[in-house]
Amino acid sequence: MGDELRNRLREERSKRGLTQAELADLVGVSRKTINTVENGVFIPSTVLALRLAAALKTTVESLFRLP
Amino acid sequence: MTSRNDVEFADNISRRRYLATIGATVAFLGAQLVARPVLGVEGFQLEGFRRYLWAINALGLIALTLPIGGWIFGRRIRSLVNDEISRGHGRMATGAGLWVAILIAIAILLTPLGRRCSAAEASYLIVTPVAVIVPLYFAWLEARAHRDG
Repeated sequence: MGDELRNRLREERSKRGLTQAELADLVGVSRKTINTVENGVFIPSTVLALRLAAALKTTVESLFRLP
Repeated sequence: MTSRNDVEFADNISRRRYLATIGATVAFLGAQLVARPVLGVEGFQLEGFRRYLWAINALGLIALTLPIGGWIFGRRIRSLVNDEISRGHGRMATGAGLWVAILIAIAILLTPLGRRCSAAEASYLIVTPVAVIVPLYFAWLEARAHRDG
């Protein structure tokens, strides 16, 4: 938390027609976690980033990048 | 109950938790402001049962930020309510509380009070603000996490 990290989570989620709650269910976290990651408030752990990428059938690098 | 409903249910529990945390903290703070057991000319006025009640309430408020509770809702709901971000919020709030405690302790040490400050009074002056700031900061972080946009 605190360091900047750009992410394309909202775009990737919308592309697959998923709500925050549906993605949260797929990943096994709460909706607020998805919300804070999308808003850039929270930088996810490596495990969560990998889970998000797997749920959205993409790579971590395409979801997250440094500014 | 479906898996999707688990996420929504946990979301609801999490919202209620931060609202309840704010309510309990404000009630605790209000009680302290009404009682004002410190800084009076008679010295520290928190004896017997009231002293234990204060300690239990203060500990209870700080414990609200721990990733515990929700046992009645089952393992999945519990893990969703206390997931990565909530645990992080708990750590951030506890860290803030530590800094508050250190700064108040230093202030008590360096500020001339004009009379002796007992250990019990110093404990009260340190723990009470910590027991207010830690849960309120946790609740604010949780509320921010729930905010859409």
